[in-house]
Amino acid sequence: MSTLHLLHPIRRHGVRALSSMNRVSAGLAAEPVGFIAGVLVLAYVLGTLLAPLVAPYSPPATDLAARLAPPSRAHWFGTDALGRDVLSRTMYGARVSIPVGLLTVGISAVAGTALGMSGAYFRGGIDVVGARLVELLQAFPYLIFAIGMMAFLGPGFWNLIWALALKGWIEFYRLARGETLSQAKMEYVEAAHAIGYPSSWILVSEILPNIVNTVTVVAMLRLGYFMVLEASLSFLGVGIPPSIPAWGSMISDGRNVLFVAWWVSTIPGLALLVLVLAINLLGDRMREILNPRRRTG
Amino acid sequence: MRLLRILQRVLLAIPVAVGVAVLAFFSLHLLPGDPVQIMLGDTNTSAALIRSVQHELHLDQPLHVQLALFLGQLARGDLGTSIVQHRAVTAIIAEALPATIELTVATIVIAVLIALPLGLAGAIHPGSWIDRTVLSISLLGASMPAFWFGLLLILFFAVDARALPTSGQIDSAIGVPPVTGFLLVDSLLAHNGAAFLSVVRHLVMPALTLGVVFAAVLARTVRSSMVDVLHRQYVTTARAKGVPETAVVVKHALRNALIPAVTVAGLQVGELLGGNMIVETVFAWPGLGRLVVNSIFAKDYVVVQAAVMLYAITYVAANLVVDVAYTALDPQMELG
Amino acid sequence: MRPGRWVIALAVLLSLCVANVTGVYAKTLGFVLDTTANRATEAQAIVAQLNQAGITAEVRVWQQSVLQAQILAGQRIAYTTDWGSSYFDPFDLAVPKYVTRARGNFSFYSNASVDRDMTVASTTTNDAIRKTAYFDAQHTLFKEAPWVFGYVLQNIEAQSTTVQGWAPAADNSESVYPVSLRSGDSLIIGMRTDSIGTFDPAIPPNRDTETVLRNIYDALVAHTLDGKVVPQLATSWNKVGPAVYDFTLRAGVKFQNGDPLTADDVVYTFQRVLTPGAISGQSSPRKDLLGPLVRVQKIDDTHVRFVYGAAFPEVLLLQALVHFQIVPQKYVQQVGEAGFVAKPIGSGPFRYARGAVNSEIVLERNDAYWAGPAKLRQVVFRMMPEPSTRIAALLSGEVQIIQEVSPDLVDRLKANPSVQVKTAEGTRSYEIELNNKMEPFSDPRVRAALNYAINWDPILRDIYHGYAKRLATGFLPTGFGYDPSLKPYPYDLAKARELLKQAGY
Repeated sequence: MSTLHLLHPIRRHGVRALSSMNRVSAGLAAEPVGFIAGVLVLAYVLGTLLAPLVAPYSPPATDLAARLAPPSRAHWFGTDALGRDVLSRTMYGARVSIPVGLLTVGISAVAGTALGMSGAYFRGGIDVVGARLVELLQAFPYLIFAIGMMAFLGPGFWNLIWALALKGWIEFYRLARGETLSQAKMEYVEAAHAIGYPSSWILVSEILPNIVNTVTVVAMLRLGYFMVLEASLSFLGVGIPPSIPAWGSMISDGRNVLFVAWWVSTIPGLALLVLVLAINLLGDRMREILNPRRRTG
Repeated sequence: MRLLRILQRVLLAIPVAVGVAVLAFFSLHLLPGDPVQIMLGDTNTSAALIRSVQHELHLDQPLHVQLALFLGQLARGDLGTSIVQHRAVTAIIAEALPATIELTVATIVIAVLIALPLGLAGAIHPGSWIDRTVLSISLLGASMPAFWFGLLLILFFAVDARALPTSGQIDSAIGVPPVTGFLLVDSLLAHNGAAFLSVVRHLVMPALTLGVVFAAVLARTVRSSMVDVLHRQYVTTARAKGVPETAVVVKHALRNALIPAVTVAGLQVGELLGGNMIVETVFAWPGLGRLVVNSIFAKDYVVVQAAVMLYAITYVAANLVVDVAYTALDPQMELG
Repeated sequence: MRPGRWVIALAVLLSLCVANVTGVYAKTLGFVLDTTANRATEAQAIVAQLNQAGITAEVRVWQQSVLQAQILAGQRIAYTTDWGSSYFDPFDLAVPKYVTRARGNFSFYSNASVDRDMTVASTTTNDAIRKTAYFDAQHTLFKEAPWVFGYVLQNIEAQSTTVQGWAPAADNSESVYPVSLRSGDSLIIGMRTDSIGTFDPAIPPNRDTETVLRNIYDALVAHTLDGKVVPQLATSWNKVGPAVYDFTLRAGVKFQNGDPLTADDVVYTFQRVLTPGAISGQSSPRKDLLGPLVRVQKIDDTHVRFVYGAAFPEVLLLQALVHFQIVPQKYVQQVGEAGFVAKPIGSGPFRYARGAVNSEIVLERNDAYWAGPAKLRQVVFRMMPEPSTRIAALLSGEVQIIQEVSPDLVDRLKANPSVQVKTAEGTRSYEIELNNKMEPFSDPRVRAALNYAINWDPILRDIYHGYAKRLATGFLPTGFGYDPSLKPYPYDLAKARELLKQAGY
């Protein structure tokens, strides 16, 4: 009986995580702002998945005779310099922003958390190397870093994700390192030590579940940031290749014709703004619900 | 003791700056493209002449030799000569830096002007409709893609309203004798009101573009730390003593609430200096960010290395200043 | 289950694969069209056309510098390129683009007869023979179609109606000496570039830099707006021998610091260019523009002699001299190279007052100019790389002249009565170059098929609003020795399919 008991975690975080999930969804449903944000994000995700079915035109379909046409019944949001439908291209644009954002955040969060936790827990060489690396990368301006990387790698979906994630992990590293340091002092960890659990088990089964909420909230808030960053790079022409419709490059396409066709830049920018706003709102609510002590800030 | 700590931190900036420059060296040298070929454009030049120019720039040497040359130069305090402009990099950067600093300062001023009243208004009655509006506005600002917002501003102000200039730093007809390189300062030194006004008008749109995002972050920080402080013991005591509410907010609470705001502002300065190149491009602002981006594309690595070192030093310095300001505002804090 | 059966089955399968790869079965033509941001729209329209014609193609947009490196390494097969000619002679366009292994020969094209023609044209002093050589080369090139031949775009610029006496130049340079304003005497020009290069005339790699320099400095000869050579600091010249030219200098010309401009300054200017490493340890990248020039020597204070190592056509020397502004020897030696670049002094109609290469450059009138002072007191060259910003600035009266108006925005400007759009013949050839060394474009039939398969008319009409003209080869109509009898490849899909079929597609 007692040996069986030993294999159970000291803290019953399984129940805790479940209850926090419930708390988040219940909290969001109860609040109009959070609810609207949730619905918006859901709508974007659905739009992304269903774009081929609902988009009125094929995004690469050019029609030189109808180039730079203003919004009309045929083209709700007008056409661009090649006569392509702005609405359809904007819908397809979400298929770049959402996956790039999610993958970048995912890779950054996993890598950063893993490195930060091991650095804080094992200390020694791994911690020193990590700290120096972080110091160096932090002093390197992010955008220049990403432009340099992209110029080196060339435009491309995965290149973009690597260029963003290569510095994106730092935030998670610092967070996870700090949280792990404070958790490691807590009695439940010391208890686990005393019982003789292996370090890796303590890290993964004891500490990780207790910092995963914080990491999730930060990941949510970084998601919007990465999407804007992706658009910035595509705007500069070093992001997504132009054969794929992406919001940043659409905005960039439109700036040369800003005064004769305002819609080419405005619509994809608006799409990006609304999505990022909805995600940030959601992240913000999540933070409050999961950690009512900290309030916003 | 504290001075020693500061000195230690200052010295620590050197290896970081050199490390960053070496990182820039490698990433640029590994990039495809040859600065001489790019510079020559359409010129009808023989292969022999191209080779000799490459040789003069040491581009035909192996990478480790070039790195050694670069580090040797650096040790002598020589940052090198730009490949494209044929001028000392220090002179080129010194020319671009004031424009960027001016834009950064203007951005911070605009951000504070927006963020402080918003944050305070939200904090006085947490949870009220004012507070919720403030939070929504700041979230909107934080979600704004700056380059797109800049385009919208141009579309609205420059063409339809024709109220503000779209590019440049000052009305070209006005000449101000360069003393500091900062046009705002120089126009004041010259007692030229028209020039000062012109500089301010040119600053508004780019600074607003950058300031909106920055203000959003700042407003939230001000609000939350204000909420926090207003519930502390000494504020309650002051209220109980019958100190008027305005005085409570301004005299007692604000000073303490500013500490986190200063931190956020300081840490953002680094981001601002390095992240404004898109806005500089949109508004043709002759600052450091645009210089670096153009130099990356022209493979003028001499300029990129030096600028990136400057960014690194600024970043470390900003952090240090934040820490010092922290201890100044709150004597209980220890300088870490 | 004997192993023999398996071997036979495998052999059949393998031979099927091989047959497939070697083209026993019909294959379709497919390639990536590489381009840069400024021509992405056009490239996408072309690819859409090709896809409809059954040719698989897709666009890839690159940074100019990265694409150029990949092209030079022979790693790309089809790419949009352009090349400017400021000589009004194919010498600085056709020679670098078509001669075997020349600097701009991005298509790796090689043809002995074209090489021979170009040698004749750049070493013969007889114009009739030069013309014949150029004609011959054009016919060969048209037949072999090393590129998808493109078009030439007009220079579209615009001015406020307060500007008088200005017109755009064929080589994009803005000469503002004759310009005046209806009200005021300070002119601002919105430049298309992000930054000009440097103030040292021995270095400038591009036209925008020279635009500014030509207003600060004078050269021995100058261009008219349509590219004719006229005297500037040299009043006359004559050919003493096939490889020797003498120039007579204008008397009484002074630099902006008051020093007289003499034969010594001319000799020094060319010495700086010809001597390797003469500019703080670096060689002038412009040296080769002068051809096989050996030295420039002083005859007396107002006469200099250009001595060549081999015969060099007079027209090429004169066209080159337009680009070599004369610098003050005494001043440069006194303040050093760095001091000179920081505060340049020339003998031109405007002197440098202040400004930086990446923001704006303010020039002020040189009252002692040898041809009389300019009407403008001040000229400002302001860098405005964003096309929309230039338009907005012109419309709001912030600037009075803007370079490079996008064809899409011309109508917007024309609707405004206070601005005027003006055009000049372009001197830049735009094309799609094909890698002649690599499959599938090593086959001339495939290259010709591609020339037939693209319908340029709607592209030039809709995207460039008719401001572009087709070219039969890369040669420009504004250049010497252009053969007007060669007509561009027509759009003929049937012929394209026929050629592709012959080539095995």
